[in-house]
Amino acid sequence: MNRAVTERAMAPSSPLRHCVVIAGVGLCGLLLPDQWPLLARIAVMALFVLSLDLVVGIAGLATLGHVAFFGMGAYAAGIVALRWTADPLLGLAAGAAAGAATAAVSGLLVLRYQGFTFLMLTVAVAQILHSLANKLRGWTGGDDGLSGFAIDPVLGIAPFDLEGRVAYLYALAVLVGSYYVVRHIVDSPFGLSVRGIHQCRPRMPALGTPVGLQLWKIYVVAGLFAGMAGAVSAQISGIVGLDSFGFSLSAEALVMLILGGAGRLYGALIGAAIFMVLHHTASSINPYHWLFVIGGLLMVIVLVPRESLASWLRAVPRPWANGARASKREVA
Amino acid sequence: MRKLIGGAIAAAVVFCAAQAQAATIKVGVIGPFSGPFAHYGKLYKDSVEAYLASQGGKFGGHEVQVLYRDNGGPNPSGTRALAQELIVKDKVDYLGGFVFTPNAMAVAPLITQSKTPTVIFNAATSDITEKSPYFIRTSYTLWQVTVPAARWAHKQGKRKMVTAVTDYAPGVDAETAFKTEFAKLGGTVVESIRMPISTTDFAPFVQRIKASGAEGVYVFLPGGPPNLGFVKAYNENGLRAAGIDFLGSAETDEFDLQKFGDAALGLTTAFHYSAAHESEANRKFVEALRGQSKDAVANYASVGAWDGMAVIQKMVEATGGKRDGAAAIEAARKLSWESPRGPVSIDPATRHVTQNVYLRKVERSGGQLINKEVENFGPQPDFGLRK
Amino acid sequence: MQILANILIDGISYGMVLFIISVGLSITLGLMRFINLAHGAFAMTGGYLAAWLVRTQSWGYAAGVAAAVLLTAALGALLEAVVLRRLYRRSELDQVLFTIGLAFVFVAATNLAFGPQVQLIPLPPWLAGSVDLGMRTLPMQRMLVIAMGAAVALLCGLVVARSRFGVWLRAAVDNKDAAAALGINIRLVSGLTFAAGCGLAALGGVLGAELMPLEPYYALKYLVLVLVVVAVGGMGSIAGTLAAALLLGVIETASKYLASEYGSLFFFVAMILVLSARPQGLLRRAA
Repeated sequence: MNRAVTERAMAPSSPLRHCVVIAGVGLCGLLLPDQWPLLARIAVMALFVLSLDLVVGIAGLATLGHVAFFGMGAYAAGIVALRWTADPLLGLAAGAAAGAATAAVSGLLVLRYQGFTFLMLTVAVAQILHSLANKLRGWTGGDDGLSGFAIDPVLGIAPFDLEGRVAYLYALAVLVGSYYVVRHIVDSPFGLSVRGIHQCRPRMPALGTPVGLQLWKIYVVAGLFAGMAGAVSAQISGIVGLDSFGFSLSAEALVMLILGGAGRLYGALIGAAIFMVLHHTASSINPYHWLFVIGGLLMVIVLVPRESLASWLRAVPRPWANGARASKREVA
Repeated sequence: MRKLIGGAIAAAVVFCAAQAQAATIKVGVIGPFSGPFAHYGKLYKDSVEAYLASQGGKFGGHEVQVLYRDNGGPNPSGTRALAQELIVKDKVDYLGGFVFTPNAMAVAPLITQSKTPTVIFNAATSDITEKSPYFIRTSYTLWQVTVPAARWAHKQGKRKMVTAVTDYAPGVDAETAFKTEFAKLGGTVVESIRMPISTTDFAPFVQRIKASGAEGVYVFLPGGPPNLGFVKAYNENGLRAAGIDFLGSAETDEFDLQKFGDAALGLTTAFHYSAAHESEANRKFVEALRGQSKDAVANYASVGAWDGMAVIQKMVEATGGKRDGAAAIEAARKLSWESPRGPVSIDPATRHVTQNVYLRKVERSGGQLINKEVENFGPQPDFGLRK
Repeated sequence: MQILANILIDGISYGMVLFIISVGLSITLGLMRFINLAHGAFAMTGGYLAAWLVRTQSWGYAAGVAAAVLLTAALGALLEAVVLRRLYRRSELDQVLFTIGLAFVFVAATNLAFGPQVQLIPLPPWLAGSVDLGMRTLPMQRMLVIAMGAAVALLCGLVVARSRFGVWLRAAVDNKDAAAALGINIRLVSGLTFAAGCGLAALGGVLGAELMPLEPYYALKYLVLVLVVVAVGGMGSIAGTLAAALLLGVIETASKYLASEYGSLFFFVAMILVLSARPQGLLRRAA
């Protein structure tokens, strides 16, 4: 590889550099064996929120029904493991396919509308899937949840252990790989056109962009990754419950995204990590008062102007992000 | 200087040895401590603490430390993560709790792999104990309390009944149990109504019951607001006047019973525990609870936790405080004792508690509403696993 | 035939409760374009206040309910003036997040103050009985709900159509800037409308306490229902909200009678069908 290619690959906003950072931070998690289960759940949620960022941050469509794809992915992976094959990678593919297919079909309907109507329609789709999952007890286990499936070792060599190390590394690997792909998509001309639709929708058709088609495509991609998150969640916990279609998951994911900052992709990961850690800590102190914390946090975040918060964050010295700061100024 | 170090080392060794001798028994209790089912968590905690206090805080000479974890309600993946943490990080010797079936199912592979005896304080679906040989249950199953109810209904001369249950696993269990037993005796269930779990308005279902022409309705609802809503609808829509008798299980749960007011008088239920059970063990239990917390309620959830701790105590005594899951379960299989609910024993085949089921009617006594036991059906096993 | 009558009667009473709770949100959304996801919290507050006053402070039922409504309206006015006003110019997402955070705080505060159990509002003797309609009995409380719903609809309609305040309100909804230019005090109109919406939500919370039990999670649990009613009815339209609430109430009740294993499936399918055909809602005010 010549110097120019290397430089481009390691440029501040390059996907590879981001992935290296994420993988690095993630692997540090291996030093905390007590927290592996929590870290694995953080990785799963980070992937889910990342897929949400595609719809909310990049495409600018506020949705509260994203959990529909997560749930479909989770049940798909569970059903495949129970009835067909216990190989985790095939289950992952099934989950991704289920999420993408659901997004494709529902997108045909909901993407025709905007604003509040769109928001409510996404909620309706998720709730309908929830009702169906409850009704089709033979397939989904209904309220009992889908259980009784064991997952084969990853790639045949790494069985899922009790301590959760393999589960964590598996979730982390899926997260890093997905981030890489998503970053490429967002930085591509397709991604730029979607950002354009977000910034000024009326202008885009004048540029020749098929607005409806582009939005549908990004919706399907988001559904695919949300489905993958659901599949990983099902595989590492060995059970899929109706809460995989729960409205609160959509709402929490949105909160996580805002915490970390929408539209920047890595913000999704940061937000998910902060939220889950806060939740875990606050819950063990006092479960109900957690709502005070998160409610107060949300209100503060909205009231304090984004600029002053951002400049406060920027003041924190981060030696590895010299270039990233420059790129943030461009993108944000 | 050397003497000082030597002395310090010796002291440390003696200290460690002393700790090892009376090793603390760690018990993890997982339940809902927040959210709509938070009252279960409080009932568990009050009961567990009361039991520990009654035993002087020690089981078989060992200190007992209880770690409470909140799973917020039906939440299989969260519960599994909590259990994993308790087993791997906190190294608990026993697990307890579990209000909801999916949560218990989720931890089955974990407890089998780690050989952790787990006592279920509530979750009532029959096949949970099949999912792992390390499950013991001290609550009840729907089959266990429904079969005697069906037999009683038939003995009362009822031949046409209707069932109304909440549409989730225990409800479906209750419906199946009643239908099977009632049909076996020659009666018919003319309609089986399933009510969505999120229902708050029961009038439509009560109207369907009225229109079914049955002689009675067998009901199963989860604890809390659904109970209140259903009983209200039953009374307000004149079902009793129409001759459709009420037969239930946990609907007159002591937790909310006083809220029903006179609307609840005369309601008939078949269940395994009433706070009004007349026995020395029950008196002690209620007193201990009251001593623990003024608003603690003696009901099926708190007695499940109380007996659950009793089983854990017996397991600790049997294994001498050492962590030996297999031996603990073996010992637990042979248990039988006098619980606040009556005489109980663990069924060695199913690891579920065999207990008396009583027929109760709601009456007013001393200004309070109570579930008065009017008939004792005798010891009932878990019929669900005897199919 | 019996079943049809049952579905209609129960559906209408359920729909009336939904209407009373939702009408405030619909007007607020239509007038101020302000997405207030804390609306359910106001309904909950009204219910809790009424329960507290009537049960523990031994107030009379009517007095307790009236006080709860007025107190909640005052609380709404206070919050609006102090905090929510700053959010009118912010993006939809910001409004959603802030008001959800506010709802969370309400839930946690309610739990702190009253505990997690369901709160009952004791009914006075004249409401506790049932009326025999021949083919079935109808609880008096349900009849009150239906009557109140109709009264609220009528009152709102009259205020909006016939009163000076109504003129201001309609002008402000149609074109806020022009209305302000004509000297209409937009701040006052917004504040009063918001307060009225909260008060009505409180009334709905009290009347609906039989159908929708009061517990700390109430604010979030029924939020989706209210949002659906507003979306289907069309923002800013009282008649639309009434139509949507009744329609959805009847559909939900019908599915309970005829196909209860499907849960709320038909409710949401109906919503999708209506919104697909009329994305602005059934009767949106032309904006």
